[in-house]
Amino acid sequence: MNLDMEIKGLNFYYAGKHMVLHNINLEIYKNTVTALIGPSGCGKTTLLRCFNRMHDLYPGNKYEGEIIFQGRNILTKETDLIDLRSRIGMVFQKPTPFPMSIFDNVAYGLRLRGIRKKSILSEKVEHALKQSAIWEEVKDKLHESAYALSGGQQQRLVIARALAVEPEALLFDEPTSALDPISTAKIEELIEGLKENVTIIIVTHNLQQAARISEWTGFLMLGELVEFDRTEKIFTVPKEKLTEDYVTGRFG
Amino acid sequence: MAIAIKREAADVKRRPPIFRRDPLDILFYAVTALAAMAVVAVTLGIFYILVRESYPAIKKFGVFGFIVSKEWDPYREVFGAATNLFGTAVATCLSLIIAIPVALGIAIFVTEIAPDFLKGPIGAAIELLAAIPSIIYGIWGFFTLAPIMSAHIEPFLMNTLGRLPLVGPLFQGTPMGIDLLTASVILSIMIIPFTASISRDAFNLTPEIVKESAYAVGATRWEVVKNVVIPYSRLGIFGGVALSLGRALGETMAVAFVLGNNHQITTSLFDAAATITVTLANEFTEASTKTYLSSLFYLALLLFVLSFAILAVAKIFLVRYEKKNPREQ
Amino acid sequence: MQRERIRKLESVIALTVSTFAAALGIFWLVFILGSVIVHGAHALSPGFFVHDPTPAGIPGGGMRNAFVGQFLITLFATIIGVPVGILGGTFLAEYARGKRISHYVSMLADIMVTVPTIVVGTFIYAIMVKPMGHFSGWAGSVALAVIMIPVVLRTTENMLTLVPWTLREAAFALGAPYYKVIMQVVYRGAITGIFTGVLLSIARVAGETAPLLFTSFNNSFFSGNMNGPMASLTVTIFQYAMGPYDDWHDQAWAAALVITLAIMIVTIVGRMVIKLRYGKK
Repeated sequence: MNLDMEIKGLNFYYAGKHMVLHNINLEIYKNTVTALIGPSGCGKTTLLRCFNRMHDLYPGNKYEGEIIFQGRNILTKETDLIDLRSRIGMVFQKPTPFPMSIFDNVAYGLRLRGIRKKSILSEKVEHALKQSAIWEEVKDKLHESAYALSGGQQQRLVIARALAVEPEALLFDEPTSALDPISTAKIEELIEGLKENVTIIIVTHNLQQAARISEWTGFLMLGELVEFDRTEKIFTVPKEKLTEDYVTGRFG
Repeated sequence: MAIAIKREAADVKRRPPIFRRDPLDILFYAVTALAAMAVVAVTLGIFYILVRESYPAIKKFGVFGFIVSKEWDPYREVFGAATNLFGTAVATCLSLIIAIPVALGIAIFVTEIAPDFLKGPIGAAIELLAAIPSIIYGIWGFFTLAPIMSAHIEPFLMNTLGRLPLVGPLFQGTPMGIDLLTASVILSIMIIPFTASISRDAFNLTPEIVKESAYAVGATRWEVVKNVVIPYSRLGIFGGVALSLGRALGETMAVAFVLGNNHQITTSLFDAAATITVTLANEFTEASTKTYLSSLFYLALLLFVLSFAILAVAKIFLVRYEKKNPREQ
Repeated sequence: MQRERIRKLESVIALTVSTFAAALGIFWLVFILGSVIVHGAHALSPGFFVHDPTPAGIPGGGMRNAFVGQFLITLFATIIGVPVGILGGTFLAEYARGKRISHYVSMLADIMVTVPTIVVGTFIYAIMVKPMGHFSGWAGSVALAVIMIPVVLRTTENMLTLVPWTLREAAFALGAPYYKVIMQVVYRGAITGIFTGVLLSIARVAGETAPLLFTSFNNSFFSGNMNGPMASLTVTIFQYAMGPYDDWHDQAWAAALVITLAIMIVTIVGRMVIKLRYGKK
């Protein structure tokens, strides 16, 4: 199996605060789904936001260690964040359509990259919308506002927007926490299908979800990676007592 | 400006119990209700009195006729509002053209660029600018800005923009410093704080997560502002601009010093002009005849109706905007 | 890669321009305050406060008449405007809370806060100066009061809605009638905010000139008679600045300095109190 990302000795500090991630070591494999689980406040979202350097938006945050993505350490100063973020997409807890039409939302990242030709744009937008299983629902109203869609549709639209620029990895931050069960099921199904093309890392507080869709699972607590292994092992024969307590619902 | 403070949404919806059995309670209710109605009474009162006082002029010059007539001749007692409306429109528009980009820039700086320790002081400084009385802007404009405009800025504009086709005539003439351009610059400084602080509040209502997701697609900071933050807050910005427009329209003292009082429709920004407010300030106490005074009241009525309408539109936009984007906790 | 460099450059340029805009705002503030301080300080002397004006063209003299006039006009404006504003705000925030009328009256008040003040001047001229046959300090006070009412009303309304509803419920539970709840519990909870709001509104009207031009007019002599024309600092600044004498210009700057400092101090203190009392925002 191909290694896509390797996290070595990662420490992270929020501005003016103590260390919130301690010595994380983790490997992410190409075209797999990796789930990060743990009680709230354990640092799973913080870890996820390290992969596309989202923390850089706010001054004073500090990383230590290495995240090797395709052979290069992305935590260095020289890393081009715009390039990095177009190769590692992200989907958030709540749907985040931009205040523009459905088409323009999906085309946004492409246009940023200088693609202006109508035919190429249409083709790529359509492809992305199909990939995220929303094409049939929106193909007749591409030029209407994205706000007119339901929450579940918006979330799939946002996934399409992330996919349109053909990223190599996608980060999901509790993508279904604001959605109803039916929309959740659709998104999960979608994620399963996507891994053919992209590597997926998903943060979830929903253990069943992690068990359903991921091949690898990391369990975090208090800013440390307690255990990282094949998902079925984590949920059936965990090595650590803490992991066992958590996945069997004894706390959290 | 009234001080707006976030209220608890749940509390606003609460309604008081109705148990006014106590006669004192009924009395207090009546007194407070009457006081609240004072605002309504004043509004209607202003409208009624202005109509009553300008009635002779309305009868004599009509509505449309008054608005389009360029005459303003106290000796022949022929009056029309066109020159005043022209001056008001030009000064207001020009000041908005100057103020809006600066105000948006300030709002962008305060919300998206400034480090936290600078946000407070800069916001406070901009708000202090709003607290300076307009007479101070007036005296400063007259003694400090106008000479600078006349000696440096206007000759410079004359030699650059004044040479261009189309816009050229706007920047020709005698750079006296007492003219439309100087008045507009002062007005723009006055309204910058209003536009800036409303735009800043609107920008702040853009959810962090939506901005982050634009960054996550690889947008630069400016692209996030341009494509997400500004479109997201456009209703709020629009309300802020309309509010500033209303302010600029009714401003008197800041422009009274530097506009001259020239009842002509001019082609150059280096010419003196008259706005409704400046005409009122300069001529109201000197109006010797009934028609003259009545015509001035007529101008006041036009100004009142105009600014009331614009401010009402601004308010409706802002209310709608806040309804659409309830402040997040 | 080339394209990305252009995008980043564009971003840097746009953000730099924004930074300059903010600097420009600060620049104006410093420029205006600086001019007022430099020119004003040079003309300011103790005599400025205690002497009345000398006849036009003769140097010397002060603005005692304008200080006293300004004080009286503002004082009576406050006495008229503040109670009406506070009571009206009470109605909107308490008895009419959540009702449609409250919403509409607030909105109207918000509009009236920004309506041109010179229009208020013409209005008071028509209902007071004309019938009375002469300008008067009273007319000036009423004009300022009319401007003050919507400001105080909206501030009061806002401050009262900030008082938690549970506090009222606790008082209702003890069997207190509403007016007692308002006066003994709600006002007490909002007193700092209302007081500061009132202070800020006084600062605001004290700087007004336009509404005084045709109401209290001006008076170059000392007068404590509210029933006659009365000098004010702002109108005197206007008259002196437009006048032909250098000495008048100096005095206008001095008056500008006094009024600016007073208003700035009240505004800064007021905003600080509100910030301390009600947290960020």
